[in-house]
Amino acid sequence: MESAAERFCCHGCETAYAIIHGAGLDKYYAERELPAPRPGGPVVGWSAIPTIRCPDGAEEVRLQVDGLRCASCVWVLEHVLERTPGVERAMVSYATGRASIRWDPRRIDLSALATRIAALGYRPRALGVETAPDHALLYRLGVAAFAAFWLMATYEAQYAELWFKVPERWAALFRWLSLALATPVALWSAEPFYRGAIAGLKQKVLHMDLPISLGIIITYLHGVVATLRGTEGYLDSLGMLVVLLLGGRMLEGRGRRRAVDAAMSLAATAPHTARRATGDQLETVPAESLAIGDLIDVGAGEELAADGLVTEGAGQVRMALLTGEAEPVAVAVGDRVVAGTVLVDGALTVQVEAVGRESVIGRMAAELEQAADRGMRESVSDRIAPWFTLGTLVVALLTLAGWWWLRGVETAVANTVAVLVVACPCALALSQPLAAAAGLGAAARRGLLFRNADALLQVADVDVIALDKTGTVTAGQLAVVNADDATLRIAAGLERYSAHPIARAILEEASARNIPLPRGEDVREEAGVGMEGRVDGRQWTLRAGGPNEVLLASEYGERFVVRLGDVVREDAAATVAALEKDGVELALLTGDHADVARRIAALTGLRTVESRIDPQGKAAWVRRVRDSGKRVLFAGDGLNDGPALASADVGIAMGTGAASSVLVADGVIAEPALRPLLGARRAARACNRAIRFNHAWSIGYNVLAISAAALGFVGPLVCAVLMPLSSGFVIWGSSRVERMVRREELAA
Amino acid sequence: MNAYLFIIPLALILGGIFVGFFLHAAKSGQFDDLDDPPRRMLKDD
Repeated sequence: MESAAERFCCHGCETAYAIIHGAGLDKYYAERELPAPRPGGPVVGWSAIPTIRCPDGAEEVRLQVDGLRCASCVWVLEHVLERTPGVERAMVSYATGRASIRWDPRRIDLSALATRIAALGYRPRALGVETAPDHALLYRLGVAAFAAFWLMATYEAQYAELWFKVPERWAALFRWLSLALATPVALWSAEPFYRGAIAGLKQKVLHMDLPISLGIIITYLHGVVATLRGTEGYLDSLGMLVVLLLGGRMLEGRGRRRAVDAAMSLAATAPHTARRATGDQLETVPAESLAIGDLIDVGAGEELAADGLVTEGAGQVRMALLTGEAEPVAVAVGDRVVAGTVLVDGALTVQVEAVGRESVIGRMAAELEQAADRGMRESVSDRIAPWFTLGTLVVALLTLAGWWWLRGVETAVANTVAVLVVACPCALALSQPLAAAAGLGAAARRGLLFRNADALLQVADVDVIALDKTGTVTAGQLAVVNADDATLRIAAGLERYSAHPIARAILEEASARNIPLPRGEDVREEAGVGMEGRVDGRQWTLRAGGPNEVLLASEYGERFVVRLGDVVREDAAATVAALEKDGVELALLTGDHADVARRIAALTGLRTVESRIDPQGKAAWVRRVRDSGKRVLFAGDGLNDGPALASADVGIAMGTGAASSVLVADGVIAEPALRPLLGARRAARACNRAIRFNHAWSIGYNVLAISAAALGFVGPLVCAVLMPLSSGFVIWGSSRVERMVRREELAA
Repeated sequence: MNAYLFIIPLALILGGIFVGFFLHAAKSGQFDDLDDPPRRMLKDD
């Protein structure tokens, strides 16, 4: 900024510069990779956000911060916060966009901190309850890994018997040492598997944990007996087994936590505020503190904070959240308006009738939250588990009986134990979680976050993809559709002083076209009418023309038009074409007029179009297609898409959409694009293939190994080699997912 | 062979100390966030 080559585009940027400069952080301007977002005004309502009180009197909170565009943003935010008097510690994560702040409540409060964040141009939002990272599994894994490596060493000493004579007292020492090392692994590290098996038995389900637990317990008990009798057991295999299984479980848990965290970040909300009129005064208050009967003022571009009756003024309200329609609706005195909708134009005074959970939107969100708990379908591994357990037990009994009859008890027990140890379904249990973790990761890198692997896998089998229009196929916000550079330049020169949605659209287009903004003089904004002022020495007015049209007129009678509208996402047509080539039928479902829907369909290449259908109609359409035997994926963004999202086989929400649609969906598109749907389909297919490979391999291995053990060919040494090898193949099979997806992407 | 009587307990104790380090690191949150520290390192203050 030392060169002063840049000019401040608005007062907010100047404030942001003052803060950054004041904190001695000018380096930010030299290092940033992207221009900063435009700063917002003061924020209120943060006093109601719950914080953590520390024993020493300090307060802590974790916030989701939007608008962090590069590492420099994180750096500047962290340092500005840290240099704010009263703040004890501030950490901002680039990966998740979360800030954790600790401060002294006697010197500063959360509202002031949130205002400071907003003044830099970032938007803080409050997070709900967070899941604490699970350390217990990590402890168990650490201890098991230590023991497993030691067991390898002590067993190697015992296998030395194969080549030369080991003195008996040393052999005994190694045996007892092995038992001592294996004991914490079997009794403590493996506990989660016992717990899972018992929980499964209580619900009368034969869970994968059951054969695992059986295998571990039998191996350990055999190890105890073998140590007492002075023969060798399978304790080294036991250690390796528990390490691999715990590692798989940890990966699975990490993936799941990441998805839940991501969904929660998207559902985080900023406190809503309202301007309440008390007597002749206006005060800004948190929306929750509004009471029924209060009068609130709503200006153009503001979101309504409560349901109510219009008592004064008139304007245009955008009801997209409720109806999904982009076109604003005219309201006047006596009309009812609904919280969460946006006043695009005009000015209203509203008498509050319902707030928060009681409002129309609040009730809809509550219904969706109840529907959000969809329950997990059982995985293929869990379906195999009971048969696997049963089969193993039958083979074990046959082995016992057969060898008893042939050679007597001693050999019979040894071979039966070998069967049960070798049958421990380590590879089988790892098959699904590892491939799923790889698949979820591949989909997430392509912008689609899934709540669970089940939903991802279903994407591969989807026959029909139904898309909502506003906010899904289109960007869902006003943008400039048509205007020449000169018109845009003057319009932007006037609109730079306004916070109206049309102003935002015009300024964004001007900056996208790299048009330098002229400085307007004597610019006035007339609420609900438009802007006027002098640009380049001429007096201009900017007024609403027709629907979605703005007229720019000069004092000399020149007239220019800026056309606005909802624009189709850039990647929509390409994604639709690619998905169609993949054999998917695509449909556009919208509450909007037929001609708008047809125009969008023509632009994107969507063939099936259903226009003018309400939320229930969308859900009914989805159910009808499902009843005809096809699998349906529905992608939408609004609260009004909730029923359709819940009725589809796979529901995908847009991360930019309503928080409650994120809650009800199986997955969330985390970027403003449609392409992630294609990426997810490829990831799902690769993931399915990897799971099939893993299952085929691990079942094949188990059949072979169990047969060999039943015939008496497997001893501790063979087992120690076979077990990690089988799991190694599964790990390799899962690691191919990302590569398979990349190969398909290159081929396309 | 008597050297074993010294070496094995020593190795066990050393290994045990490392397990202790690991448990302490896990407890203090070293493994909670594996994405940010590598980025943070590239940014000098």
